[in-house]
Amino acid sequence: MKAQTRNAVAAAVVLLALCAVPFLSGKFAIYLTMRIMLLGIFAVGYNLLLGQTGLLSFGHGAFYAAGAYGLGLFGVHVSTHPLLGVAAGVAAAVLLALLVGTLCVRHTEIYFAMLTLACGMMAFSFFWNAREITGGDDGLIGIVRAPVSLFGGIRMPIGKDEQFYFFVLFFFALSVWVAHRIRHSPFGLALAGIRENARRSEFAGVPVRRYRLAVFVLSGAFAGLAGSLEALLESNARPFMAHWTHSAEPILVSLLGGLSSLAGPLVGSAIFVAMREIIQRFTENWMLGFGVVLLVIIMGFRGGVVGTLSALFRKATAPGEG
Amino acid sequence: MGEPLLTTQKLSNHFGKVCTALDLDLSFERGVLTSIIGPNGAGKSTLINLLTGHLPVQAGKIRFQGRDITRLPIHKRVRMGICRSFQIVNVFPELTVAQNVMIPVLARAGRSWRPIRSLSRETALMQETEAILEKVALLPERDTPATALSHGDLRLLEVGVALAAAPTLLFLDEPTAGMNPVERVRLLDNIRQIAREGRTTFVVVEHDMDVVFSLSERIIVLHRGEILCDGTPGQVRADAKVREVYLGDDVSDLFRYREE
Repeated sequence: MKAQTRNAVAAAVVLLALCAVPFLSGKFAIYLTMRIMLLGIFAVGYNLLLGQTGLLSFGHGAFYAAGAYGLGLFGVHVSTHPLLGVAAGVAAAVLLALLVGTLCVRHTEIYFAMLTLACGMMAFSFFWNAREITGGDDGLIGIVRAPVSLFGGIRMPIGKDEQFYFFVLFFFALSVWVAHRIRHSPFGLALAGIRENARRSEFAGVPVRRYRLAVFVLSGAFAGLAGSLEALLESNARPFMAHWTHSAEPILVSLLGGLSSLAGPLVGSAIFVAMREIIQRFTENWMLGFGVVLLVIIMGFRGGVVGTLSALFRKATAPGEG
Repeated sequence: MGEPLLTTQKLSNHFGKVCTALDLDLSFERGVLTSIIGPNGAGKSTLINLLTGHLPVQAGKIRFQGRDITRLPIHKRVRMGICRSFQIVNVFPELTVAQNVMIPVLARAGRSWRPIRSLSRETALMQETEAILEKVALLPERDTPATALSHGDLRLLEVGVALAAAPTLLFLDEPTAGMNPVERVRLLDNIRQIAREGRTTFVVVEHDMDVVFSLSERIIVLHRGEILCDGTPGQVRADAKVREVYLGDDVSDLFRYREE
C-alpha cells in the first residue's frame, strides 16, 4: 500500500510540473517537453509489447506513420477537427497493426522481429512511393491545427504551441493512465505469463496467439496516437516516421529507462530527447555520442535507469536486508 | 461407471523411424487413479503430449466426454478440462507463487481479458487462488517469486498451477521427481486427498515403483509405444511380460511388492 501511495504522489507531482511548464519556460522548452511526451506515449505503449509480453517488434514506426498520415489525409478529405483527426489516425494504426499482427504473431523471437521489420519497411516504401496519396518523399505537408470544438458551442484554439501543449498533455496523461491500468489488470498478468512461459500459458487455458495479437494492436494504437499528435505538432507526416530507425526509438528508450516498470520508458524518453538536443549542439553525428551513453547504461545499469535507482532505493530503505 | 472420460482410437506417433505410440486404444474412466509406467523410451511422455495437445496427432483419434478433440489446440482442451503438469518444472519464473496460480484461475473464470479492471479487486478469484495454495501447502510462500523457491516447493507449485485450471482429467508427469522423501509423502497425500474429493481424475506417469504401487488403482505398462499390460496393480505384478521387460531393471521393486 505504501509504495502505491508513493507512486500516486509522484505521478501527481509530475503532472503538476508538466502543467506548469508552459507558464514557466520558453518556447523551446515547451516544444521539447511535447517531443518527450510524444515519444513517451509511443514508448509506454510499445513497452506493453516488449516489457510486459516479451515480444520485440522492429516495425512500430509503421503504425506511428499510419497515425500521422491517417490524421493528415482525414484532414485533407474529411474534416480538420483535431479530435476526429486523432481518432482517424488511431483507427488507421489499429487497422494496419491488425493486418501486420495477424501475419506476425504466428512466430516469436527473432522470426517475429524480422517479420515486423519487413512489414515496417514495406509500409515505409509505400509512404515513400505512393506520391499521389502520401506526397511521396516530401511527406504530407500543411496539416493545420484547427480549433477543438466541443458540443457545438465551446471552441478551444490549439494553434499556438502553448495551447497545443495541453492537447498533448491530455493524451499523454490518458495514455500513461491506461498503460498503468493494463499492467495491473488480469489481462496484464496474462501478458506477463506469456512473457515468462508461453507454453505453460497455453496449459493455463490462455489463447496465447490471440493475446499476442491483442497487445500488438494495442501498442499499435499508442503508436498511432503519438504519430497523429506529431503530425499536428510538426504540421506534416513524413515517410521516415515508418523507417526502422524510428521503430528502434521506443526500444532504445525502454532499455535506457528500464523494461520492467511503467516509468522506465517515460524516463528513457526524457533522457533520449534531452540528450539528442545536447549532443546535437556539439556534433552532427549525435548517434555516436548516444551510442556511448547507451553502452554505459546497458552494461552498467542493469534494468535501466529506473530499475537501478529503485533497487538502490530499496536497499537504502531496508538496511536490514543488506 | 457410464461413458469413459477419455478414449483413444488407434493413436500413433513416430519420430522418424522411432515409434513412440502404435495403434493405442485406451480409455480412462472417471475417478480411477491411473499410473502409466514403462522403461525409458516406452512412449509415456509422448502419450501425455498427444492427449494434452503438446504434440500434433499423426494418426488416430482422441475423444473427451464424447467430443472429438484430436485437432483441438491446447488452451481449448484446458478449458474443456484436460490439463497436465510437467516433468521438468515449467512455471512462470519471475512471477510470485500467487500470480502463478492466478493465471489459470483467471483464464478458467473467463476474466483474463479484462484490461482496465484492477487485479486486486478480483477478491473471489484471489480466495480461490489461496485455496489452491493451501492444498499444495504453499500458502506461506504466496508472495515469493517462483525463482526463489526450493526444488521441492517448485514441484508443488508445478502441480498447483495444473490444479488451478480445475481439470476434470489431470496428467502428472513424474510429479515427485527429485523430491526428498518428506516432500514426496506430503505431495502424494495431497493427490490422494484431491482424488477422493472426486472432481479431478488423475493419470500419473512415474518411474518410482513405490509411488506407483501405493497410489494407483490401475496401471498401464507401455513398451515401445505399445500397451504391454493394463490392469490393477495385482494383475500387473503377476504379468509375465512385464517382468520380462523389467528384468534386471526395476524387477526387484516389482518383486518386493509381490511379497508384501
